[in-house]
Amino acid sequence: MASILEIIFELINNMLQFFRLGKKSISNSLNIYIKSNTGSTLSIELDPKWDIKNVKEVIAPKLGLPPNEVKIIFAGKELDDSITIEECDLGEQSILHAVQSRSQSKRSRPLSESVANLQLSNISENDDSSSTIEEQLESSEEKGIKNTHFYVYCSQPCKSVRVGKLRVRCANCHSGALTVDSDPSCWDDVLKSNRITAHCEETRCETGPVSFAEFFFKCAEHTSQGEKDEAVPLYLIRPNISHVPCLACTDISDPVLVFSCEERHVTCLDCFRQYCVTRLRERQFVSDDRLGYTLPCPAGCENSLIEECHHFRLLTSEQYQMYQRFGAEEYVLKAGGVLCPQPGCGAGIIIDTDCKRVQCVGGCGVRSH
Amino acid sequence: MANNIAAQRIQREFKEVIKSDEVAKCAIRVELVNDNYTELKGEIAGPPDTPYEGGNFVLEIKVPETYPFNPPKVRFITKIWHPNISSVTGAICLDILRDQWAAAMTLRTVLLSLQALMAAAEPDDPQDAVVAKQYKDDQEMFRLTAKHWTAKYAGGPGGNPDFEMKIRRLTDMGVEEDQARVALSSYNWDLERATEQLFS
Ligand SMILES: [Zn+2]
Ligand SMILES: [Zn+2]
Ligand SMILES: [Zn+2]
Ligand SMILES: [Zn+2]
Repeated sequence: MASILEIIFELINNMLQFFRLGKKSISNSLNIYIKSNTGSTLSIELDPKWDIKNVKEVIAPKLGLPPNEVKIIFAGKELDDSITIEECDLGEQSILHAVQSRSQSKRSRPLSESVANLQLSNISENDDSSSTIEEQLESSEEKGIKNTHFYVYCSQPCKSVRVGKLRVRCANCHSGALTVDSDPSCWDDVLKSNRITAHCEETRCETGPVSFAEFFFKCAEHTSQGEKDEAVPLYLIRPNISHVPCLACTDISDPVLVFSCEERHVTCLDCFRQYCVTRLRERQFVSDDRLGYTLPCPAGCENSLIEECHHFRLLTSEQYQMYQRFGAEEYVLKAGGVLCPQPGCGAGIIIDTDCKRVQCVGGCGVRSH
Repeated sequence: MANNIAAQRIQREFKEVIKSDEVAKCAIRVELVNDNYTELKGEIAGPPDTPYEGGNFVLEIKVPETYPFNPPKVRFITKIWHPNISSVTGAICLDILRDQWAAAMTLRTVLLSLQALMAAAEPDDPQDAVVAKQYKDDQEMFRLTAKHWTAKYAGGPGGNPDFEMKIRRLTDMGVEEDQARVALSSYNWDLERATEQLFS
């Protein structure tokens, strides 16, 4: 009896091993572009287990340089020789920048790694200045948060709310061959321009005495489609590191939506949707000249309007269509227009003062005099 | 989904009220009316040093599906004489039950705010114009009337033989007691004017 069991166990084990090996042989290559600061681009296959030293040995001959004179830049940092490709959170068809090194600068982990686990605060002053990012990173790991992320709205091709990656480029020439002088410590550093200084390695780049970093986001869930492939940061969606309960249902969820009011009120994403739908049905959204059709914190706080309307992409597509329709209607009415009288059309008409005939544009196409 | 948020939230708030200091001091109380947390019965003790002292006021609390993004619908079941509460329907005029509601407020906040409203009326933003006028014109008359209503409907202490006698005069003429009380209260307990209004 025992021997039969042993045989079965061995069989299962062998099968598992087979699958593991099979999987490894498929996944162990990553197609990456290497861009040099002189303008050439190489396409190479990398093993995610390789470290940066291995990468330099492979690409240096192709660039006609000795490996010890190459530095690799990714996501705002010169990468250390000991870091493995796996650790860099590189997606298929990502771009690494190779630059001939003149001096030995401070090497580190890529920005995406050091900042991704940080819950960027809204407060401009880094009030926790005594702890380094590494310490904060460790403390977030202690709390059991291994890989917290940024959230973005990916318009192409995902058309959905996705996990995102923070990336950086030169504010002047838009090259990714840039090393930042410091990590962003709050959302203002990321969203506003000219807050983080940087060093651009692009030979064609002519900056003044100081160059600045420009941060942007990529969708982490589709294969990179080149340098123009960007996503909108949904910066109010944050990991719930301090376990704040939802203001509406009082559950502790992760991630959560943090409003920009002084109290930093928190709702879970389900309650945020419910809040939006409730206010939509009552036509209680705020039509703000600068921000568009939006909502304040549900606790009624001052200065709490959602500034990035892509956050409403959290709604289901049906609900989002209602949001868009109501927003457009509100806009037309505010601009002095009227809504198309054809029942069920609802498209806006802004009457041309010189012409008595109006046509419903983009709606049902009905004409009237 | 929609109902779950409201029900879950009310369930927690219900527990919050039950455990609160105010309940320990018998100042507020809530009870469930049904199992799905859409309707509750609230009770507020009349605040001390007011004409409502010693009375117990029952409230109807209806929880909308959109709670807590919209306020609960609250009205007084117990009849009360107060400028911001309708003496006929029990409807309440209180900003936090209307446009000043915020999703962070709770049943406890509502009950305590109502208790505060009982202690400090706002006659310039009335629900019952007749009561508000009396409150502004004749504080003592208002106090006596409110105290009489508290004794009659909310189990408060003390009667008022003069008021009782006037009501009996009207009920003897076939007027319903509550109707007689409203008419007399509205005319500062002037029997003649109240009779005139009732039979005109
Ligand atoms: Zn995507
Ligand atoms: Zn540049
Ligand atoms: Zn919630
Ligand atoms: Zn708030």
